[in-house]
Amino acid sequence: MQTMQTMQTAKNIIEVNNLCKTFKIHKRATGFKGALKDIFHPTYERKKAVDNVSFSIHEGEMVGFIGPNGAGKSTTVKMLSGILYPDSGDIKVAGYIPYKQRKEYVANIGVVFGQKYQISWDLSPLDSFEVIRHIYRIPPKMYKENLERYTELLDMGGFIHQPVRQLSLGQRMRADIAAALLHSPKIVFFDEPTIGIDVVGKDKIRKFIRTLNQTDNITMIFTTHDMQDIEKTCERLIIIDDGKKLYDGSLETVKKGYGSSRIIEAEFESLPVSLDLPHAVVSDVENNALKKLIAFSTDEVGVNEVMTALMNTRNIKDVSIREPEIDAIIRDIYEGKIVMNGGGCHI
Amino acid sequence: MTRYLSFAVIKFRSKMAYRFDYVLGILDTLLAFVVYWSIYKALYAGAGEVDGVTFSMVTTSFLISLGLSAAFHKNEMFLQDKIKQGTIANELLKQVNFKLRMLFEDMGEGAFHVVFNFLPTAVIASFFAELKAPSGAVNVLLCLVSVILGYIVLWEISFIVQSWSFTLFSVWGLITIKNVLVNILAGAYIPMWFMPDWLRNVIRWTPFDAIYFTPVQLYLGELAGIEIAFHFARQICWIIVLGAVGEYFWRSGLKKLVVQGG
Amino acid sequence: MRDILSLFFAYAKSGLKSRFQYKLDAIVTTFAVFLREAGGIIAMYLALLKFDTINDWNIDELLFLFSLIFITYGIFIVFFMALRDFSDWIKHGDFDRVMLRPRGLLTQLVLCGADWLAALGHGTLGIVLFVISASRVGIQWNPAMAVYYIIAVISGVLIQGAIFLFFSSISFYVVETGSLKEIFYWNMRKFAIYPLSIYNRVIQSVLIFVVPFAFVNYFPAQFFLRKADMAAYPEWLMYISPVVGVMLYLLAYSFWRFSLRFYKSTGN
Repeated sequence: MQTMQTMQTAKNIIEVNNLCKTFKIHKRATGFKGALKDIFHPTYERKKAVDNVSFSIHEGEMVGFIGPNGAGKSTTVKMLSGILYPDSGDIKVAGYIPYKQRKEYVANIGVVFGQKYQISWDLSPLDSFEVIRHIYRIPPKMYKENLERYTELLDMGGFIHQPVRQLSLGQRMRADIAAALLHSPKIVFFDEPTIGIDVVGKDKIRKFIRTLNQTDNITMIFTTHDMQDIEKTCERLIIIDDGKKLYDGSLETVKKGYGSSRIIEAEFESLPVSLDLPHAVVSDVENNALKKLIAFSTDEVGVNEVMTALMNTRNIKDVSIREPEIDAIIRDIYEGKIVMNGGGCHI
Repeated sequence: MTRYLSFAVIKFRSKMAYRFDYVLGILDTLLAFVVYWSIYKALYAGAGEVDGVTFSMVTTSFLISLGLSAAFHKNEMFLQDKIKQGTIANELLKQVNFKLRMLFEDMGEGAFHVVFNFLPTAVIASFFAELKAPSGAVNVLLCLVSVILGYIVLWEISFIVQSWSFTLFSVWGLITIKNVLVNILAGAYIPMWFMPDWLRNVIRWTPFDAIYFTPVQLYLGELAGIEIAFHFARQICWIIVLGAVGEYFWRSGLKKLVVQGG
Repeated sequence: MRDILSLFFAYAKSGLKSRFQYKLDAIVTTFAVFLREAGGIIAMYLALLKFDTINDWNIDELLFLFSLIFITYGIFIVFFMALRDFSDWIKHGDFDRVMLRPRGLLTQLVLCGADWLAALGHGTLGIVLFVISASRVGIQWNPAMAVYYIIAVISGVLIQGAIFLFFSSISFYVVETGSLKEIFYWNMRKFAIYPLSIYNRVIQSVLIFVVPFAFVNYFPAQFFLRKADMAAYPEWLMYISPVVGVMLYLLAYSFWRFSLRFYKSTGN
């Protein structure tokens, strides 16, 4: 394992070690007396937003950061992009220390906020691009090439001259992604890039992101709630909750690691139902006494055995087998139902 | 009626939620008074009276003007916001007269500013500024009547300007221009006594001196008998005329909204 | 320098373009700002028709005094508007974007945030006042005088810029700075428009030592006009506006640099 890590260091573009960030939260008192007291003796609560997080990412990797609201993923990404000072720990991205060398560093990255566009509301995307060209000092040739390429790949030809306020959410997002890429960044951060966009629009965006990653070898970091974003783009997943890293590894492993579990949904002909399944958990379905959910692990008991037991009741109307969905797996990880503690450097 | 009154009460209460604003509002009003007081103290430079107007009459008139400005405080972007947010259609479906509701909410806001900004300012000002007591109980009463009439006149002017929200992208500019005209021509920036005669003669034909100056004159007892009746009659005339104009703009605005499918 | 200028023009072009999406509104807004600011002056003009002078200042001298406030504010709003509204930038997360761009933070804030319509409203008013009064207040205009007027204007812009740079730095610690601005800038500005000498000692001290508006218009105007009421203050105060401007700005700038690390981006 040691050797594997040393081998990878050469290609690592992002390295984070023991990163910590604590926020002081002002607890507001209620009532007039409380408000007065607040002015003279404000009470604060300390919250560890990021708690000793370490990871590294190679050049060209696509990594999804997921976690519930307030888990610390945004704070991590903001420290990676140079917006926030860390309290302690080391960050090195593309050879820079983001918070110390902000101006030089940010020329190498692009950031897309799904809820906060950088293109102006009352201007056309092209007008905004023009300002961005000046800000990033993009050479004319590079600007022209990138603009033509993104216009084609993101299908912006039809609306690039229209004021942004007249565009659909999906069109706006595409224009904003182009804006973040005009200076050919090495690393791109996407914060909820498909939020509120319709299915077709989401698909266009994801396809573009995949293409770009394959052809240009751009490193991409996502934070998202939408598991589809991750499933359709990323190979690697970092799960953060309560400021701590819960999981860091491939998406496949998560699926496989949980892949041994199965759920059978059985509907019976009549009551009462008696089942004798020592290795499975039987639970009720709301509003339907005739339906039961039977959860088990294929490591402990075969599907065959369970099915036979069910058939033996001679009371079965219908049976279906469910495979666990990635959403459900993640939810279980947050809730501590699954503990990811495998040996390797990823699990 | 109680329903409309409750709009005023709710507005009053909601303004009370921002406690720091009390202090700020008092400071704001007080400083405005100090600026005027300092300017006119320097202008009078110890002179007993100018054109029969004493310094204490001037300071009193400014304080009354500030009280009226506090009472006239209102949310003048109300109609525009409702139209921009597209909620106007829903508002109109409610079993409430929209204009009356607006009026009462504004009165609630005005009452807040009088109680929490103006009254403390008046108390503080009375310690250092030369103020005149009202010339009698009847005058106070007459003054209050004319304040109410003046309030309605000003509210109707504001409503007319706001009703342009149906046509314009933003009425902020128009409202600002209107407020400048009101402040100068109605005598909030400079007492009517000191205006050049030609300007006073022009203002006589506008609704403006019915807003600030008539209450001031009544408080100081400068008007008598038939003059008072004449001033009230004028205020009422303006209420009728401006009310009709406002209603006309309001209706044609609504028609436009229906045509455009709002 | 050429690079900075081209960035400034790129921002200006896009800013104007987006404002002129609504042409009529832009014109009405500019005119409204002009009129709103002129309101107090018109009232003063009318009052002086009756009283002739205030502390021995006649109307032309007053207009000259006013011109400094409005011209400096007109220029201030071109360069410092983003700092004037900086707490909004933080609240809405716009400052994050500034940090993500490979340019100096203040460079971006100073170049990008111009409110051109308000600048036009205030600036035009200031210039009109200057043009009306400059030839009628007995100033022997020569190149040196003209240069000092320009220096006084720049100092006035710097002083107001520094005040807002202080407020902006405070926004890193407490988000809501609206009340501070209201008390220490807008309310003080109401006083500062008129000759300092009409106020009582406390207000005068505040305008000299705390929020030094006196160096934006009153003392520079005294340099040109030499009115009798200057006798109440040390004479050298007429000359030090540039020093006050530069010192205050440097002080505010170091406070800004120090405070940056406390920036808490408003998270989700």
